[in-house]
Amino acid sequence: MSKIINFKIDGKEVTAQKGETILQVARKNDIYIPTMCYISKTSPCASCRICSVEVEGVDGFILSCNTPPTEGIEVKTNSQELELERTNIMKLYDVNHPLECGVCDKSGECDLQNMTLEFGVSQQEFSAKDQHRTVKEWGVINYDPALCIMCEKCVHVCNEVIGDDAIDVKFGGYSSSIIPKNADTLDCTFCGECIAVCPVGALVSSDFKYSANAWELSRIPSTCAHCSAGCSLEYEVKHGSDRTQNANSIYRVKNNYEFTTLCGAGRFGFDFQNSAQKDEAAFNKAVETLKSANAIRFSSMITNEEAHILQLLKEKLGVKLFNEDARLYGEFMSAYSSISGKLHHSGSLDAIKQADAAIVFGTRIATDNPMVRYALRTASQHNGAKIVYAHPMEDALMKNTATQLMKYEAGSEEGVIALLANELLQNVDIDESSRAFLDDLDLGYLEAESNIGDDELKSMSKAFTRAHKRVLIVGSDLFAHSRAKNIAKLVALIEKYTDFSLVVVPNEVNTAGVSLLCELDRDENIADVVGYNAAGDFVLSSLKEADLAMPALNQVEGSVVNVDNQVLPLNVALAFDGYNLNDLANALGMQKENTIEYTKELSTAKGFKAVAFDALENFYSVYGEDVRGYLLDEVTCEGDGKIEEVAELPEFNGTVIYHCNPVLQFNQFTNKTKQLEKDTTLRGSAQFAAAARISDGDEVEIRFASKTIKRLFKQDDELKGTIALNPSFDMTADFSQYRFEKSKIVRVV
Amino acid sequence: MSKVYFSTWNGESINNIGKPEEEWEESAYNLPAQYDDHRDSKAFIGWDGVALFHENVDVIRLAMEYAAQYQVYSEACGRCAPGRWGGRILYDVLDKIARGEGEISDLDHLKEIAKSMQVTSKCEIGKTVPNPILDLMEHFEDTFLECINEKKKSIHYDESVAYIAKITAPCTDACPSHVDIPGYIEGVRDLRFDDSLEATRQTMPLAHVCGRVCPHPCEDACRRTNLDEPISIMSLKRLGADWETDHGYDFFHPMKKKPANGKKVAVVGAGPAGLTTAYYLCADGVEVDVYEELPVLGGEVTVGVPEYRMPWDKYMQDIECVRDMGVNFITNYKVTDEDMRRFEKEYDATMIASGTRISKKVRCENEREEIKGYWGAIDFLDWVNLYEKFDIKTPKEVQEKQMLPTDFVDLTGKTVVCVGGGFTSMDVVRCSIRAGAKKVYMIYRRDEKTIIRNTTYEEYHEAVEEGVEFLFHSAVNNITTDDDDILRELLIDKFELVPDPNGGRAQLVKIEGESYTIEADYLIPAVSQSADLGFLPEEWDIEMTSWATIKTNGKDYMTSRKGIFASGDCEYGPMTIVNAVGQAKRGASVISRYVQSGEITLSDDEIMEDHLAKLKVYDKKEKVSGWLPGLPREHSSVLDAEYRKHNNAEVNLGFTQDEALSEAERCMRCYYIAMVQA
Repeated sequence: MSKIINFKIDGKEVTAQKGETILQVARKNDIYIPTMCYISKTSPCASCRICSVEVEGVDGFILSCNTPPTEGIEVKTNSQELELERTNIMKLYDVNHPLECGVCDKSGECDLQNMTLEFGVSQQEFSAKDQHRTVKEWGVINYDPALCIMCEKCVHVCNEVIGDDAIDVKFGGYSSSIIPKNADTLDCTFCGECIAVCPVGALVSSDFKYSANAWELSRIPSTCAHCSAGCSLEYEVKHGSDRTQNANSIYRVKNNYEFTTLCGAGRFGFDFQNSAQKDEAAFNKAVETLKSANAIRFSSMITNEEAHILQLLKEKLGVKLFNEDARLYGEFMSAYSSISGKLHHSGSLDAIKQADAAIVFGTRIATDNPMVRYALRTASQHNGAKIVYAHPMEDALMKNTATQLMKYEAGSEEGVIALLANELLQNVDIDESSRAFLDDLDLGYLEAESNIGDDELKSMSKAFTRAHKRVLIVGSDLFAHSRAKNIAKLVALIEKYTDFSLVVVPNEVNTAGVSLLCELDRDENIADVVGYNAAGDFVLSSLKEADLAMPALNQVEGSVVNVDNQVLPLNVALAFDGYNLNDLANALGMQKENTIEYTKELSTAKGFKAVAFDALENFYSVYGEDVRGYLLDEVTCEGDGKIEEVAELPEFNGTVIYHCNPVLQFNQFTNKTKQLEKDTTLRGSAQFAAAARISDGDEVEIRFASKTIKRLFKQDDELKGTIALNPSFDMTADFSQYRFEKSKIVRVV
Repeated sequence: MSKVYFSTWNGESINNIGKPEEEWEESAYNLPAQYDDHRDSKAFIGWDGVALFHENVDVIRLAMEYAAQYQVYSEACGRCAPGRWGGRILYDVLDKIARGEGEISDLDHLKEIAKSMQVTSKCEIGKTVPNPILDLMEHFEDTFLECINEKKKSIHYDESVAYIAKITAPCTDACPSHVDIPGYIEGVRDLRFDDSLEATRQTMPLAHVCGRVCPHPCEDACRRTNLDEPISIMSLKRLGADWETDHGYDFFHPMKKKPANGKKVAVVGAGPAGLTTAYYLCADGVEVDVYEELPVLGGEVTVGVPEYRMPWDKYMQDIECVRDMGVNFITNYKVTDEDMRRFEKEYDATMIASGTRISKKVRCENEREEIKGYWGAIDFLDWVNLYEKFDIKTPKEVQEKQMLPTDFVDLTGKTVVCVGGGFTSMDVVRCSIRAGAKKVYMIYRRDEKTIIRNTTYEEYHEAVEEGVEFLFHSAVNNITTDDDDILRELLIDKFELVPDPNGGRAQLVKIEGESYTIEADYLIPAVSQSADLGFLPEEWDIEMTSWATIKTNGKDYMTSRKGIFASGDCEYGPMTIVNAVGQAKRGASVISRYVQSGEITLSDDEIMEDHLAKLKVYDKKEKVSGWLPGLPREHSSVLDAEYRKHNNAEVNLGFTQDEALSEAERCMRCYYIAMVQA
């Protein structure tokens, strides 16, 4: 049977792939069918019924959003009858809809307004008794049931794309509404995607509510700066009345929800900008300091162009460059390349969404990179993907997505990846030395010490039997592991010889870019270090109390490299009146008027293209194609690395700390924002509390080998075991160390 | 046939208005004229029309109350724009007329909104609720106009009148367990598998089992058949259960367990009927002890249905779900008559759910239990399954009797002949293939078409693919044994179907001279089973059916002895899992009220359920509109025959997510509301 279905829509010959609906085909062919509840990234809600069409020879209306076409049918998208019924549905939607468009946040970009106008509903004969409905306040989200049209988009998105599955339809005919699922108030990760998809003003941001009308705001397309996902977003700012005045604040962030998704950090954590005037004295001091500096220490929250400038400064001034995050990531990738023979990993967020089998290894992914979690959720829901979540701790956020928890001992990652490689490469033709390596593995020892049983590996293989789009996702726990390089090689081995694609999830928004553009030195405790958004004897920073104020990532032009190896443009949402790195570079002898003149000079040897910044697009097409920036070119390299024997697996006994942020927090920039919750408590299970002899609410001192910190302890009943979570967003993010650390916990009396 | 005053049911037009009662024309349908033992019905209104049994019915209020049900039945509505607002407008406008405040223009508004609902609603409730309302408006226009013109209330507007409504669907009605099928399919379609599973478990605790091995009578009543092919209803059920298992969730129970009420019930047998009884009683706060003779739980589904059809780790999830409700299981306990007397004293009620575990004979010459190689299907499957699923070895005496070389059922090199034609015989022959038999025959008196009808298309073809040879129109005439009484040879008679010249049922007639012999090592009768009820105290003198099963009225499942109930195969005779579950669910509901009140009663919901079953919800002649025909039914993949016949891996791999979603999307959500004015 042919997989292509030929049929006609309004006389036009069209084709559908298996699984496509009439509506999808119509949209692909630029044929308009009105909808109120359809959203392309979820399964059809099928609640509005407006997308009904007629099919020649078939009685009644056919719903186009959930009906696949059959061979040879002739679809009619419009007729008098359809127009009449669609108009009637719009009239029904308008029954008792509060006439508060004057103040409603959605006014001006409201689907109900638009469609009411489109169908010319100017009066109506339908009426029903009105009902009293109160506004619900759910933290950063407000819900007004009176405005809600029950399209169910929010419910579908929350369940199918995000995975929180936190909202439910309360059935009840006319009095139906949206309610928190199994809870009194909304208990979710507050991504706010429900606000994004709401076609009316029912779900709104409580912070934004009543602060501006849609038409007063300008949209600045950019890329989110909080994690390595590099999500597409639009900052919305309000200009003065003559529209020439600079905007002084971001009002809100929106996303093209039809095709993209944002987490709450991106949506609500937008006010991390810096403000400063030109302080010439400080600038001159910075220039002088740089001239005599031994090193520049910097974070990965910078653009490619700035990274490139720093590399040029290194070459010019002979300073060292310190960035442990990017250095360790870079070394991991170099080791990977030594086996794979290429610079970049093969997978992407899109590959994860398409996958029907996935292994997540060495990352607490739901908080490390929410977009990977969402992609996994989409794969789980839409493809029924079997997902192995391999980590020393379970994560409640992954429970409804992962199908197998492979819980290994902290520290045993090298053993785990060896076991995985051995299992996945079992009947695969691989090179001799790799086969010898696998044959020599002491499986009994590895299984015993990592706590991964053969039955777990077999059960994984069994679950994967029917899969044909597989992906391996590895992350942050591995980069600073003492055996990171060998782990990377084993990861590469799996990618090289199986049909698994690989996604390596970097820590920060531009860890990948920095690692490609800078020759980094091992960080050391030396004098005369200039810090750029990092500690130093002289500090350049967009955070606080700097020796020279710098612009934040929502105030600069430039690009970053995300988890997909995609080079993505950032734009200026808010002006910054002070100096920037390019000014310093120019004072030190370089000559570019603007930072973005460096964009086309980024190293092609690393896969960058010689493309000017202004040539970088930043949008999604109406068909959902990602037209942002460009993908790094694949670069091949020597693949002559050798896999080393697995080292003795370390033991982590006693009270172990895992450095891991709570949802929506990533770093000092998210920590700076107004709306994001800042939970800095040490969170541990009852078992952890017992082992550490502390209880909920205690102030505790956590003594690590190198330092001691203080935290409030919160007992979290969703956690198990003797590993507690310690947030890192409120301190200088420190990626120099393996994320699990032995500790001694003392209650502060 | 029902006596009616007025009826538009299913397009009929019976109008006895003004006629004397003895001249009333009868309705062609089994309409519920008598609600229950002590109440007549005044009116019946539903998706397909309206029937009045009495002249004094307030038709305006009837229409209004019916519209109100649309608001009440929350699980089925609020999901589409036309239904949500339209349903409310219908109700509001009808109420306005009924209370004497209506206007002439309201009638037009009603008709317009009714039409919009009929053509654009998401489910059949939205599409059909306007039907009887429009009928009433048409045939009783004068009554409506009188209320409007004279601004007066409808005749019984202020009186208290009993309206009893029930939601159903053709598939739900046809399912012996009355599972909310559109509900669980909607859960799959919406990717809300917890909702899907809870919809199933409202009436069916064995979601894994009935998502795999149910003969799905519901699919014969699927309205989608009127358009193209029935929905693959059964296969969609396991999605929710597999999801719960795959993600390692605690069990999703659709109800909150009620606090203990101090009542106790004993259940005999831990098969599907016993498990179901226990689950729902326990949820109602009753303490339940289940006594099971075997060392393992699950009854015939455990020791009868083979691993390749029903993997034990999946069935175990269903059983653990029942246990999770708080049920107490006692295994290795063979209940005696003494126990039964004790149960009657110690418990508030007893449910007998002991199944049918005696294999019936094939009835041929020289058929003797002691022949070596003569092996009843139940015993055969017991040892196969106990070994495959629990590693329980076949005991010495069975090994000797059946000449097994080892401590499990190894038939390497042997020839097996099974006589049957139902599911059990299919299990026997396919297990024999897996046990290494050299040759496996199935002897069946009737033809291929009938065996498929008695089992399933898939089951038959899978057996053929695995190498089973089916001998149709055949029966064993004689068993030949050797000096050691070991089975050697079978004489097989051939039959043909001779049509009855008088138009009666065709007769099977032996073809003389066509008999032949087969060399065989085993003869496994799997023709039917009977109940072993020796544990019933003789003095109770419990009434039995002519099939030697326990007799009940098929509605409340109480036996002739008060407080002693029976359900499942021991009541009905060997039948399906879903039948046992349906009976036990009803039985549990009756018992739950009985232990509190001492009365045997049915709930309104159950009374309506029985009325609708009599009326029949599915109409295979109905013309379906509003759906695109020609969308093929999805089929899940199965393991390759050459691979599967050597192991016990689950043959049916289940739907991929794509297949499941496409299949779920075909479901038309044929919910209907029926309402009686009593």
